[in-house]
Amino acid sequence: MRETYGVVLPGMKLADLTGKLIVVEGTDGVGRTTQINLLKPWLEQQGRAVLETGVSRSSLAGRGIKQAKEGHTLGRITLSLFYATDFADRLENEIVPALRAGFVVLTDRYIFSLMARAMVRGVDPEWVRSAYNFALKPDAVFYLRIGVDDLIPRVVFGRGFDYWESGMDLHPSEDMYESFRKYQGALLSQFEVLGEEYGFDIVDASADPRTVFEQLKAGIARVLSGEPREPLFAIPRPKETAEMPVSNVIEMPPAKAAAGGD
Amino acid sequence: MKRYGEHRFPGKLFIVEGIDGSGKSTQLMLLHQWLQAEGYGTVFSEWNSSPLVKETTKRGKKKEMLTPATFSLIHATDFADRMEHNIIPLLKAGAVVLCDRYIYTAFARDVVRGMDPKWVRELYGFAVKPTTAFYFRVPLEVAMHRILDGRAGLKFYEAGMDLGLSEDEEESFRIFQGRILEEYEKMVPEFDLTAIDATLPIEEQQSNMRQVAKAKLAQAKRLRVAP
Repeated sequence: MRETYGVVLPGMKLADLTGKLIVVEGTDGVGRTTQINLLKPWLEQQGRAVLETGVSRSSLAGRGIKQAKEGHTLGRITLSLFYATDFADRLENEIVPALRAGFVVLTDRYIFSLMARAMVRGVDPEWVRSAYNFALKPDAVFYLRIGVDDLIPRVVFGRGFDYWESGMDLHPSEDMYESFRKYQGALLSQFEVLGEEYGFDIVDASADPRTVFEQLKAGIARVLSGEPREPLFAIPRPKETAEMPVSNVIEMPPAKAAAGGD
Repeated sequence: MKRYGEHRFPGKLFIVEGIDGSGKSTQLMLLHQWLQAEGYGTVFSEWNSSPLVKETTKRGKKKEMLTPATFSLIHATDFADRMEHNIIPLLKAGAVVLCDRYIYTAFARDVVRGMDPKWVRELYGFAVKPTTAFYFRVPLEVAMHRILDGRAGLKFYEAGMDLGLSEDEEESFRIFQGRILEEYEKMVPEFDLTAIDATLPIEEQQSNMRQVAKAKLAQAKRLRVAP
């Protein structure tokens, strides 16, 4: 039966959620959307009903997040919670109904991107894990792994450096390129930590899109056939990901005094 | 809980809690008057006041599209914004900050809506512990009488209509507030809330409140109010 990472939301009957939940995770510009656009028709050709969904697209909070980002005014914890609200809205109103109807739900990012972003911004990792522990455990998380050096040309020759994707709100550097390197490096190391903890299936995303697609197809076919899950691809960890996070500052009140103390 | 700790800022944080009709807002207003007269730099921080999240919350409520989970999270988002941009900077500056409702409102409301009590408490782990949390204790019927007399109609979420407790708004509100009251009572020992008997005359409650506040302010440095 389907499980969550901790609490079960009111009214959610886990036994009814018979569909498959497949997550494609990875950092900004790694090619997640490209892969999902290939996977959806491939699955549909096999007669599977597919729901495709992503981060910050909910009808409740999606617009608010977009507006808030334009103003660059959100605090770290506030931003985290805003994303969590958006995620909960999508979970309850899109993902759960589709799983109940027996769909394959393909989601472009899941809680892991949201968690990594929060942790890079210095939010307490334990708090982040707890805040998202109402999420459903996916049937598989395919992590598109890439090193910063392979990522940079894609961004340069693609859509260019973005304020948020470069972590400019953290002011790691005046220069967008330097910021991007530092910020993405920190994000990638958070993904590695999460990958180990949550059991990601790792896909080498530095390869060309066709090769990545073939790997994803093999992985998803295995999930859908119900074969026992095992690590799909063993790839050595890229060097960049060993770097330290940008910020280790925990922007929370000191933890010393316990509740009820004096 | 580990992060819900005593703050070390020079300011003081007084908050009031209680069910609707407990008279807490009146008491806070009176405390505010007194603090100002005593020369303390005092600031009100209101629940639901963040312009940032306000629009989303409003839309969610208007369209009745909030579930217990999103209701809980959107209010936590709003509260975090106030904490980060309003309450903490004010406390750092040495102000006396007053809040009409605080995290305990969320704990009561969200748990009644079916959210896990431990999860909600952890979600608000970033909140600073108030200098004093006043809880205005009132029997349900007294509060109901005060409210339903002077009010035109109840709002959907206010009456707990999303819980499907009753078709009748007033009946739903009564059951909902009754459950919230039970949650508050559990929190009195858990969070060491300072309970005030809200059936006493207003002046008497206020005098109790001032006594408690005075003791806490004795050792505080006074933020000079700008002339």
